[in-house]
Amino acid sequence: MIAYAFKWSRHNLFAKPFDAVLSIVVIPGTLWLVYSALHWALTAAQWDVIPQSMRVLMIGIFPADQAWRAWTAVGIIGGLLGAGLGCVFGFRKHHALFLALVPVVLLIVGGGWQVPALTTLVMAILACGWVLTSYLPLARHVLLPAAVTGFIAVFAVMAPPGVGLWGGLLLSVLLTLVTAVLSLPIGILLAFGRRSRFSSVRLICTGYIETMRSLPLILVVYWIWILMPVLATGWGLADVARGMIGFTIFYSAYVAEYVRSGLQAVPKGQTEAARSLGMSEFDINRSIVLPQALRVVVPPLVGNVLDIFNAAPLVFIIGLTDFLRAGQMILANPQNGDRTYEVYSFLLLSYFLVGSMITYAARKLEAHMAAGSR
Amino acid sequence: MTISETNRAPRAVGRDQQQARRFRNRLRHDSAQVAIVAVALALVALLAYAVKEGLAQKGIKFSFAFLANAAGFEISEGKTLSFIDGFLPSFETFTSDRSNGAAFVTGMLNTVKVAVLAIIFSTILGTLLGVGRLSTNWVVRTLSFWIVEFVRNTPLLIQLVFWYFAVVLQFPPLASAAKLYGGLIVSQQGLYLPALSWEGDGSAVSIGLATATWVAVAGAILDPVKGMRRACTVAIVILIGLFFATGRISIDYPVATRFQASGGTGLSPEMAALLLAIVVNSASYIAEIVRGAIDALPKGQWEAAGSLGLSRRNTVNDIILPQVFRVVLPSFGNQYISLAKNTALGIAIGYPDLFNVYGTVANQTGHSLEGIVIVMISYLMLSWIISAIVSWADRRLNQKGASR
Repeated sequence: MIAYAFKWSRHNLFAKPFDAVLSIVVIPGTLWLVYSALHWALTAAQWDVIPQSMRVLMIGIFPADQAWRAWTAVGIIGGLLGAGLGCVFGFRKHHALFLALVPVVLLIVGGGWQVPALTTLVMAILACGWVLTSYLPLARHVLLPAAVTGFIAVFAVMAPPGVGLWGGLLLSVLLTLVTAVLSLPIGILLAFGRRSRFSSVRLICTGYIETMRSLPLILVVYWIWILMPVLATGWGLADVARGMIGFTIFYSAYVAEYVRSGLQAVPKGQTEAARSLGMSEFDINRSIVLPQALRVVVPPLVGNVLDIFNAAPLVFIIGLTDFLRAGQMILANPQNGDRTYEVYSFLLLSYFLVGSMITYAARKLEAHMAAGSR
Repeated sequence: MTISETNRAPRAVGRDQQQARRFRNRLRHDSAQVAIVAVALALVALLAYAVKEGLAQKGIKFSFAFLANAAGFEISEGKTLSFIDGFLPSFETFTSDRSNGAAFVTGMLNTVKVAVLAIIFSTILGTLLGVGRLSTNWVVRTLSFWIVEFVRNTPLLIQLVFWYFAVVLQFPPLASAAKLYGGLIVSQQGLYLPALSWEGDGSAVSIGLATATWVAVAGAILDPVKGMRRACTVAIVILIGLFFATGRISIDYPVATRFQASGGTGLSPEMAALLLAIVVNSASYIAEIVRGAIDALPKGQWEAAGSLGLSRRNTVNDIILPQVFRVVLPSFGNQYISLAKNTALGIAIGYPDLFNVYGTVANQTGHSLEGIVIVMISYLMLSWIISAIVSWADRRLNQKGASR
C-alpha cells in the first residue's frame, strides 16, 4: 500500500524537477485554501440564515399560503423531466438511489419534516415518469402532448396569485423552460431561413442572427422591456412576460446557429435521395433533414439550456426578483448584514450543482448519440 | 409489345415550351422575392409607426438633438475625448457640464478599457489553465479541472457580484491598506499600481526617441521583412533603456494617505471586480478551447517530439502550442466577442460602462430609443472590430502555414 502510494506520487507528483517544484508550491497552497474554507464553513459560518430564508430564495415574494401552487408546478416539471430522461437513459438502481438521497440530505440539513416530505413526493413523480418512458415505448408517443398539457398546467397553476409575484429559483427555472421551448421552433425557422432559396429571406435571417449574436443579452432584455409598452400600448404585459420575450428573441439566434450546424451535418445524399423519390421540398425538410439534424444538435442544445439558466439572473435589470436578487434581498436585511459569504456561497453552490447536472447530462447524451450513430 | 407505347418520355416538350416554363419559374421566384421584401419593409414600417405613435402619446419626439445638450450628471471614472485644441483628440476627465454625447464616449471608452485588459489577461490565464489541465502533475491537473468546471457552471453575474461584494469590498480600507512589494496597494477604495510617467519635454530628442520607439513597436508587430522582428525587439529594449537612463520616463509609485492615494495608476473597486470576474470567467472558456485543440492534435506530434528527445516543456512550447494557436484563433475570436458583450454586466455593480451611461442618459432625457440606436451600433462595431482583428491575425498566422 505504502509502496503503491510512493510509486503513484513519484509518477504523478514528482515525475520531473519542474513537477516537483509545482507540487511543492501548489499542494500546500491548495491544502491551506481547502482547510481555511472548510474551517470557516464548519465553525465560523452561521448557516442558519439559509434555512430561515429558504422560502424567499426558492419562490421570492410569492405568497406563503400559495406555496402549494409552486410545489405542484415543481411536481409537474419533475414528472416531465423524468419522462424526458427516460427516453434516453433507462432507469437504473443508482438513479433511484440518487433520487432518494435528495430528501434524505434535506432531512439531515434541517428545516422540519414538511419540505423533505414534499421533496420525496416530487422525486417519486420524477421516478414514475422516468420508469414509465424507459419501460413503456407507448408512453414515449404521448410524451409531446403530455409535455404541452403539463406546460399549460404549470402556468395555469402558477398564474392566479399574479404573474408579478413569481420569484426566486422557481422564476429562473420557469424562465429557462419557456425560453428553451419557445426558442426552439423560432430557431429552426431561422436556420432554414438562413439557407433558403430566396436571397431576401437569407439576408433577413442572417442579419437577425448576427445582430443578436453581437449584442449583450442584458441590453436585449432591457430594450424589449422598454419597447413593449410603446409597441403594444394598452396590453399591460407583465414584466415577467416581457423578460421571457426578450430571452426568447435573443436565444432564438443561438438556437438557429446550433440547428444550422446540424443541418450542415446531414449528408447531401439524403436530400437527393428524397428528391429522387419525388418528395416535395417541405416534406424533405420536415421528415428527412430535420430529424437527422436535430439528433446531432441535442447535446449542444442541452448546453444552451444551461446557458439560459446561467443567464437568468440578468432579469434583475427589469426589476424581477430572481435567485440572486432574492439572496441580495436577504442580505439587505440589517439582521443578516454580515452573512455575505454564507448567502453567496449558497447561491454559487446551488447553481454549480444544477449546472453540473445539466453538463453531465449533455456529456452522457453526446456519448449516447455517438454510440448510436456508429 | 406495349413497351413501345409507354417508352415515349411523358413530358417531352419543345424548346419554346421549355423556355416558357423557365420564364414562368423565374417570374414566380422573382415575384416571391419582391413580395418577401415588401412584407419585411411593411413590417419595419409598421413597427416604426407604432413606436412613433407610442412615443407621441407620451409626448416624446424622436431626435438626436439631446446629444449636444449638457449632461448634468457625473460619471465616477473615465475619460472623454476632447476636440477643442488642435487636430488630435485629447483625453479629458468627464465633468457634468460636458454634453450627453461626451458621456456616451466616456462609457464606450470604459467598456473598451475593460474589454482590452480582460482579453489580454484572460488569454494568458486561459492558456495556462488549458495546459494545466493536461499537465503530468496530478494536483495541477485536478485543480485546473475543478476551477474550469466551477466557473463554467455558475452564472457570470453571481461571480461578478461575489468578486465585488465578497472580495474587493472586503479588502482593508486605504488607511491600513496592505502595501505589497513593488508598490502595489490593495484596498477597498481600489487597487493602485506603479505607473510609468512621461517626464520628457517637447525637445527634438524626446520626440525623435518616442517616434523611433513607435516605429520599432510597429515593426515588431507587423514584421514586414523576415528577421525584422528580432531587430525591432532589440531596438525597443534599447530605446526604453535610453528613456529610463536619460530620465524621460520614470516609475511613479502610488502613495497612500489616510483617505486617498496619489500617484501611480488606480483601478476603482468596480473596475477591479469587473476585470477579475471577466478574466477568470473568460479564462475558463479559453482553457476549454485550448484543451480541446491540444486533444485534437494528432498523437504523432507528441510521439515524434518525444522520439527526438525533446523534454515535455519544449514539446509543449515549441511543438504543441504553436500549432494550437493556429487552430484556436477563430474560437478565441468568438470568446473575445462574448467577453466584450459581458462587460455590459458592469451595471450590476455600478461600473460606468456604455450600458450604464446609456441608462443614466435615458433616465435624464427620456430619449431611450435614440440611445438604443447609439448603443446598438456601438456594440455591433465593437464585435465587428474584434472579429476583424482576429481574422486578420488568423490570416497572418496561417498564410505561411503548412497544411493542417
